[in-house]
Amino acid sequence: MGFEKFGRFGYVSQTKINPLLSYLEKGRIAATKCKKCERTYFPPRADCLDCRHSTIEWVVLDGKSKLITFTQVFFAPPAFQPETPYLLGLAELTNGLRVFAPISPAVDKEELNPGVELNLKVAKGSRNNLYYWLE
Amino acid sequence: MAFEAYSSALDDADVESSEIDGSVVCSATHYDKQRSPAGVVAEYLGLNPQPTFNVEAACASSAVGLRTAWALVSSKLHDVVAVVGVQKMTELSSEEIQELMGRAGDVMWESPFGTTMPAYYAMYATAHMAKYGTTEEQMALVTVKNRKYGMKNPNAMFQKPISVEEVLKSRPVSAPLKLFDCCPNADGAACLIITNAEKARKLTDRPVWVAGLGLASSPMSLAGRKGPLTNFEVTKNAAKAAYQMARVGPNDVDVAEVHDSFSITEILNYEDLGLAKPGGGTRLLEKDETELGGKIPVNIDGGLISKGHPVGATGASQLFALTKQLRGEAGSTQVDGAKIGLAQNIGGIGMYAAVTILKA
Ligand SMILES: [Zn+2]
Repeated sequence: MGFEKFGRFGYVSQTKINPLLSYLEKGRIAATKCKKCERTYFPPRADCLDCRHSTIEWVVLDGKSKLITFTQVFFAPPAFQPETPYLLGLAELTNGLRVFAPISPAVDKEELNPGVELNLKVAKGSRNNLYYWLE
Repeated sequence: MAFEAYSSALDDADVESSEIDGSVVCSATHYDKQRSPAGVVAEYLGLNPQPTFNVEAACASSAVGLRTAWALVSSKLHDVVAVVGVQKMTELSSEEIQELMGRAGDVMWESPFGTTMPAYYAMYATAHMAKYGTTEEQMALVTVKNRKYGMKNPNAMFQKPISVEEVLKSRPVSAPLKLFDCCPNADGAACLIITNAEKARKLTDRPVWVAGLGLASSPMSLAGRKGPLTNFEVTKNAAKAAYQMARVGPNDVDVAEVHDSFSITEILNYEDLGLAKPGGGTRLLEKDETELGGKIPVNIDGGLISKGHPVGATGASQLFALTKQLRGEAGSTQVDGAKIGLAQNIGGIGMYAAVTILKA
């Protein structure tokens, strides 16, 4: 299976960063780091913007993050309609990089506000799909 | 539909198809059944064998079409270019539209989580509310204002007024945005005829001049954008370029058309265009400064909220409204002595923004 396994409903199957899935399977979330200039990327990417080198290594993230903003989706694309309403958030990780992710339904919406601390954790879907969410 | 807009543009400019030596067809082609629509549009308008092609920049397509035409004419490659913005969205089922809407963001890292167009703008709204105390009632004022002017525009889709109450009570789409915070999808067309100064003076004694063209981009992914997400950097960058080229500032603008895809967008636009200070957009609204008669009337043709948003036609439709204003032909919504008009158009979820300044 390719990268379409990523997310609640994936659209893309072939990518240069498919190893992310094996990290997620092991319960870890990993970023990529350029071996030449050491710039870190999350979401992971295989080609460095700064030095244009494409040799990367994977580094595991601690998942600690601060919420920047969020929304609760009521009107969803067809594949996501059974799960409405659901929460989506943008958070900043401790390394300064940002992550766009669902927020776990276990989180109380009333407690969400820009600035609250959340953890980025691995999540599993019912179709054997893998992703991460904020909880 | 494109023919109706094109034909009235030809009448207005007093030119014939034989004098148009190129056409730029603007549409967000993923919403069209017709593949490569420039082909069929040029044929129907009688614009073969002149060059034609499509320009796509999502909701900013026809603003970018103007930029393209301006470059074609300035370079002297062409003399008279028709910019045809057109979109026929009702051919798609709402299921198909929703599926497309789900892929409005980065399909690798964001769409797999169930993003939608309103969800992205809602996230800017959440951030603006948290930082500046902006309320849903204040956001509703945008819809109330624009609907009021929609009643005066015979081409608008919504011709009925609305109250703050009704906006607040409408069903949630993506919190904090509700149905009436959102502009409706629509079919529509608008056409601009672009030519050089010499020819323009021959054709009309009231030409409208393209004084400033600003265009900028932002990362498509929300995660790739910096700052607290309480404004669109992309608009600020486009505005800077446009003001510089036109040698004017925000205080010189007499009338503006801004991209009110959602109520919150109009508030952010005031701030990003320098019409208000950061966080001051709601104050401008509450003091009626963006009403006809205010300091800077905005979207007094009803905006996208009343007119509807035929994606590819929207930018040209904004420029049409400004042209009317600058020629003193805007009827009951005429801004007295309007000399400088500004149009701002955001593409998609904020990866493109165009700011155009026109002068009488
Ligand atoms: Zn590098």
